[in-house]
Amino acid sequence: MRFTIYQESRTGRRRSNQDRIAHCYSREALLMLVADGMGGHLHGELAAQIAAQHLTQAFQREAQPRLPDPGLFLSRVLASAHHAILDDALDRMLPEAPRTTLVACVVQDGAAFWAHAGDSRLYLLRRGRIVTHTRDHSRTQLLIDQGLLDAEDAANHPGRNRLYSCLGGNHAPQIEHSPRTPLRDGDIVALCSDGVWGPVSDDCLLGNLTAAPLSQGVPRLLEEAERRAGATADNLSMVAMCWHDEDNAGPASAESISTHTMELDDFTTRLDMSSMGPGPTKDLDEDEIERAIREINETIRKFDQKR
Amino acid sequence: MPSQANCALPQGFQLDQYRIERQLSLGGFSIVYLAFDAHDTPVAIKEYLPNSLALRKEGQTEPQVSDEHRLAFRYGMKCFFEEGRALAKLMHPNVVRVLNFFRANGTVYMVMQFERGRTLHEYIQKHRGEVKEMLIRSVFARMLNGLREVHAHKLLHLDIKPANIYLRNDGTPVLLDFGAARQTLLSDQPVLKPMYTPGYAAPEQYDKRELLGPWSDIYSVGASLHACVTGSAPPRADERVKTDTLQPVAKTQAGRYDPQLLELIDWCLQLDPLARPQSVYTVQKALIHRHGGADRPENWFADLGNRLKSFIGRS
Repeated sequence: MRFTIYQESRTGRRRSNQDRIAHCYSREALLMLVADGMGGHLHGELAAQIAAQHLTQAFQREAQPRLPDPGLFLSRVLASAHHAILDDALDRMLPEAPRTTLVACVVQDGAAFWAHAGDSRLYLLRRGRIVTHTRDHSRTQLLIDQGLLDAEDAANHPGRNRLYSCLGGNHAPQIEHSPRTPLRDGDIVALCSDGVWGPVSDDCLLGNLTAAPLSQGVPRLLEEAERRAGATADNLSMVAMCWHDEDNAGPASAESISTHTMELDDFTTRLDMSSMGPGPTKDLDEDEIERAIREINETIRKFDQKR
Repeated sequence: MPSQANCALPQGFQLDQYRIERQLSLGGFSIVYLAFDAHDTPVAIKEYLPNSLALRKEGQTEPQVSDEHRLAFRYGMKCFFEEGRALAKLMHPNVVRVLNFFRANGTVYMVMQFERGRTLHEYIQKHRGEVKEMLIRSVFARMLNGLREVHAHKLLHLDIKPANIYLRNDGTPVLLDFGAARQTLLSDQPVLKPMYTPGYAAPEQYDKRELLGPWSDIYSVGASLHACVTGSAPPRADERVKTDTLQPVAKTQAGRYDPQLLELIDWCLQLDPLARPQSVYTVQKALIHRHGGADRPENWFADLGNRLKSFIGRS
């Protein structure tokens, strides 16, 4: 396999980054994913983290170096990620299970397979066009499908963030699977959270990703989306991969990765946990701790007064 | 990952507004101290200090957490908060009371009411095979009041065992330690394993965690009752699922205790969650009303405390 890959996640104007992104490849298979923890619910970042961790671990366990059936892998692992989130909520005795969107893509034998729940999207770009993107599992998408709303109104619709499918939460997710999709030389597969696709048009997305190498195009696109969203910018995350035919004698790019020389049992993994690293985000964790302690003490005092 | 023993804070150490007296217990997840507050009232202070993630060497105050463990340490701290949150909402004479929560030394502390007495575990050790039926019935009937309160708040205890049932000097039981069933997210980190105790944990606590419910705590109640009548816990539930070597106490202890009590224990210890009593109230009722026996006088239950006191005081 030969491809170029780039991923980046930004906090936007939110207090914390609840998005998790990852890619992981063996000699013959590649996994990419974006999970967007749902902020309106408790511990969204936990759900996103569990989902990301769960998928990359399963991939490393099973892609030795190839998956027996990529479609089946996605279907099985997304379902078990959902249960891993519920189990974790139970372990922590959380009143309700946290939620996350998830979009994941596996490439093997020159073909892509993807699956998603929620409104994180996968775009397939070919020859300067958006060939396809996933349909959001949102209320507004349903209204668009029923002809009750057009795309422009949808962008401002209050029900924009209401999802009817996600991992975690009280309901079993509705997971949508793609057919096996052969990739051509130069195809770009881009996975992103709604913080990216929400504020920008299709043309803007297309333009930024195709005009320059992904290592420049993705940051530019995120920049643009963050600028347009202004003070309300959500977390922005993208994993984008450009596919190169193995035998294509095109310009050798320093950035492209060839898995040809990898050992059979070797993996390269990148799982971003930007919100948890050191730096300014650490203060947020400090805030969380202070808040938790304050809440607990308030509860104690409240009950003490009843005594 | 070998875990090193953490050093406890020394006697006389001034921790926030409390003065450390001595270490009461040391677990894999925390150290519990006896301390005195500014009014010289004794309190129990639980210090979050997971052995596998943080190390406090001799003479140090602040435990060291390496960068690679920082994340897991923070997650574990969240679990510690969950325990605090759960307990803060519970106000019941048979559930340990949290008094304060604070940060110091790079970690967090939970201050609880200090109770004088001993654990049911210690009592069983001392009176092995001679725990009176009367004491069993009354301690458990009261302890279950606390457990009902826990379940009423949609919480599960998941670590009920004689070592977590404390008998105050006045004979009333208190349910301790709500820190069970914890785990960190990152399974490639040294994991803070769910800390159930073999023998007392229900079979579904080992694998089928989606089946957890009040009946899981009821299994642990059954196992604790089993320890009272036989002197030891039943075999581990995960072993029992494979080959069940547990003999019904109705058979092995026949003649030593009321058959109705023994049947209740066997009932609680069913491997199938649905085959057990489904609510704490059911168990409580069975403990209070003896099968076939005459109903107890009205004041029997009210009088238990005094009777209990005389039992426990005699050590």
